[in-house]
Amino acid sequence: MVVLIEGRGVTKSFGGLRAVKGVDFHLGEGEVVGLIGPNGAGKTTLFNLVSGVFHPDSGTLSFGSRDITLLKPFEICRLGIARTFQIVRPFLKMSCFENALVGIIGRNDKNGGKEKRRDEARALLKFVGLGDREQTPAKDLTLIEKKRLEMARALATRPRVLLLDEVLAGLNPSEILQALELIEVIRTKLKITIFWIEHVMGAIMKASDRIIVLDQGEKIKEGKSEEIVSDPRVIEAYLGESDA
Amino acid sequence: MANAKKFWVPIVFIVLAIFPPFFLSQYWLHVMIISLFYVMMASSWNLIAGFTGQVSFAHAAFSGIGAYVSGMLAVYLGFSPWLGVLIGMGAAALLGLGLGYLCIRMGGIYLSLTTLGFSEILRIIITNEDRWTRGTMGLQVPGFFTEYSKVSYYYLFLIVAILVLAVIYRIIHSEMGLTFRAVLNDELAASSSGINTIRVRILAFTISGAIAGLAGGLYGHYLMLITPDIPSLGQMFLVLAMAVIGGMGSFVGPIVGSFVLEILSEYIRIYGEVHVLLFGLVALAVARFAPEGLMGIIGKRWRREWSY
Repeated sequence: MVVLIEGRGVTKSFGGLRAVKGVDFHLGEGEVVGLIGPNGAGKTTLFNLVSGVFHPDSGTLSFGSRDITLLKPFEICRLGIARTFQIVRPFLKMSCFENALVGIIGRNDKNGGKEKRRDEARALLKFVGLGDREQTPAKDLTLIEKKRLEMARALATRPRVLLLDEVLAGLNPSEILQALELIEVIRTKLKITIFWIEHVMGAIMKASDRIIVLDQGEKIKEGKSEEIVSDPRVIEAYLGESDA
Repeated sequence: MANAKKFWVPIVFIVLAIFPPFFLSQYWLHVMIISLFYVMMASSWNLIAGFTGQVSFAHAAFSGIGAYVSGMLAVYLGFSPWLGVLIGMGAAALLGLGLGYLCIRMGGIYLSLTTLGFSEILRIIITNEDRWTRGTMGLQVPGFFTEYSKVSYYYLFLIVAILVLAVIYRIIHSEMGLTFRAVLNDELAASSSGINTIRVRILAFTISGAIAGLAGGLYGHYLMLITPDIPSLGQMFLVLAMAVIGGMGSFVGPIVGSFVLEILSEYIRIYGEVHVLLFGLVALAVARFAPEGLMGIIGKRWRREWSY
């Protein structure tokens, strides 16, 4: 298996709070890796470090053979790592079509004409199920539609790795199934490596090849779902210490 | 249909704009020329503030740079105003580039204060400098035409304003314009989607600075007397009010706002000091009842076709 993203001793503090402490992790090509942990464990911070929103205080991050530790978000995106946000951030005052187009423009590949890019934006909206919403301003969408739009925008950048930050949060059971279906298609048809944070345990346990557990900024466990659910440290992190 | 309309409406306005010199008095022709100056100022300010969200207060300063560079080149080195205006425009663009670079890590109120500080520093230097800028006395500069005629100036301003508006229209409807709006909507999301937000912000500063410099240069050679009033905050707030009252973030808004406010100010000037108060009341009423400006009031369908 080819390692795509690798983090070594990644550490980040905010003031006195060490949000991420010496985390080692890797993502193999084609893998679906889940990132779980209680609130405040540092999951989103780790995503922000990988996507260049923050830079680590120490430790290194690499993508393929490139060191991406200190790159800016747009540079990391252009290399092939796209993301969605925990609290959705589509461009609210722009149409769905324009939202998708921004991701395509963001690739900054000069070949292909303007019309080709516009067609691609339309095709992407269709792919995520927003084909009939092209001209709708993003602010008028429902939550699941906004999440779909964010995925379209992320996919528009032609990523090799997709970071999904709680895509299932706030969705009802039938919407969760729809979203999982979409993720499955992204993984199998587009062959994109997925690194995702999720609190819907049933879903993430079932759909991930491997799970990484963070607690208070540290990696406490890594492995297949079955190993994770029975690990006493993981249970303790989520439920607290048992008295017995 | 919509496309045909988009094509014809500006043509109709341009044709109509040919006629005013045939029936307007010298006084109203002057008002029209000044309005066209403000159209260039408000539209280019809208490009940076309404489209990338950088509320810069240095716009009047950029126009001042254009006016003084061009004026001083003409007075001290004998440059033709035609060439001087272009050099002034380049100087303003360069300054926009520098100021944009200085402000890349700032947003909101911090950017506004930095640009405001820059603007005031420039005005104070020009005011206190005596040898080259002649301070508050003003610098007398030559005009564009050997024979002074308001009609010639009207057409000159009209042609340049149309060119400037065409450039701005092209920008906001291009992919570059889309990246501008992405930065306005959500800078982090834009950056995470591969948009080089720093480049976008500096580019907006440079382009809008260049246009303000061009407008300022023209203005100076029209008045033939350049004073520190051009880069003053009073001028800045007037431009800001025009864009906001007309409708920020729309193409037509600042154009309408410029004409409405300039003409209005001619009518309320007779009330002396009260005219500032009236301006404030208009701005207040617009902010309260039409936060999207005059363009926001006009039908939604129409707006969708025109503004962006």
